[in-house]
Amino acid sequence: MTTTDLGRFLADYTAWLWGCGATCTRIEKNVRRIAAAYGYHIDITVMPVHVTVALYSPENENREIFSNRTAPCGINFDLNTRLSALSWAVSDARLPLEEAHERFDHIISRHYADGARILLLASLANACFCGLFKGDAMAMTIVLLATMAGYFLKQRLLRHKVDVRITFFVCAFVSAAICSGAMIFGWSDTPAICVATSVLYLIPGVPYLNATSDLIDRHYLCAFSRFMDAVVLTASLGAGLILAIFMMKIDMTW
Amino acid sequence: MVISAIDWGGFLQDALFAAMAAIGFSSISHTPRRAYFVCALAAALAHSLRFLLMQPEALPDNIILDSSVAALLAGFVAVLFSPIIKVPAEACLFPALLPMIPGMYAYRAIVGLVGCMGASAEPEVMHNLYLLSYNGLTCIGIVLGMVIGANIPVFMLKRISFQATR
Repeated sequence: MTTTDLGRFLADYTAWLWGCGATCTRIEKNVRRIAAAYGYHIDITVMPVHVTVALYSPENENREIFSNRTAPCGINFDLNTRLSALSWAVSDARLPLEEAHERFDHIISRHYADGARILLLASLANACFCGLFKGDAMAMTIVLLATMAGYFLKQRLLRHKVDVRITFFVCAFVSAAICSGAMIFGWSDTPAICVATSVLYLIPGVPYLNATSDLIDRHYLCAFSRFMDAVVLTASLGAGLILAIFMMKIDMTW
Repeated sequence: MVISAIDWGGFLQDALFAAMAAIGFSSISHTPRRAYFVCALAAALAHSLRFLLMQPEALPDNIILDSSVAALLAGFVAVLFSPIIKVPAEACLFPALLPMIPGMYAYRAIVGLVGCMGASAEPEVMHNLYLLSYNGLTCIGIVLGMVIGANIPVFMLKRISFQATR
């Protein structure tokens, strides 16, 4: 094992952990744990689109710098769990770097299906959201169907590599337009709640929570980067919602 | 708080909806399936506590403080269960917090923003500006309060939180 091998591995590991939505505290702890297992110290810089790892041993104070682009894998807690477990396996079982690398490759090559099960659960979740805001049964049903349509579209558009901001705009427009039927045709006694909750499945809640968590731990740049990504997505879905409201000429106030 | 004055039907319904919403949002974030139960439990308990704290008789009747206290409970549940299911605490905690995200305040803030842009008379602009600032600030306050409340157990019980996957 050379310092270069370890540095490259740690840069890859950090890039994937950041990409799957781990907080900066967890990234630092996990990467330090792996480096310590091989007798090295480490400093990490996490920027919005790349990570930098400075590796040094106690005997040699010269730092070697390794950089990598962050992995665009989206929020994935299963990946986060497996990568965290790998850091403990390296630390506790003193895995050779080659084996750690092999396990890492195996973890990141896993395919995560975004299929019918997630479509159904996400739609049910949004319908429950409508219920939490005191929407009636009809409003919940309409939200369920509108979310199904919007989420199905989201899966298809993202699969075809359409820009995520355009995707959020289109999905929000479609879901809100469907739910506006509750107001136009009087299908529900709580039509405004129906329209308002139609797009909530798109709110990037985890990035907002991650950003605030990083902020508390004084990782201001990461916090700002995550916050701005989330704000841009929220603005995109907000624009889709507003367009639907204007096109359907519905009364937004209630 | 007068126990008999509480709408227990609404209380149970809210807990059920929060649990189902947490499971749905967990699936979007690819949370390991063994963590679904903990997500649902944390969401149901936290939402139920907020429901009770938001009753008019409860003190203090403030949604930001109520959400923070509820998130604190969700944080403890997630942290204490995470080593059992060997999943990082935040993988259970964040989906459990999502049902408490103030979506309606965000929506009303957007309504205020659009109203500001479309209004010309001063009273109308001022009213919409009020809607935008009140709802926007409340929304930010709730999210901040929730994350601070939820993170207290994570940092207080660091040994448990960061060794869950060991």
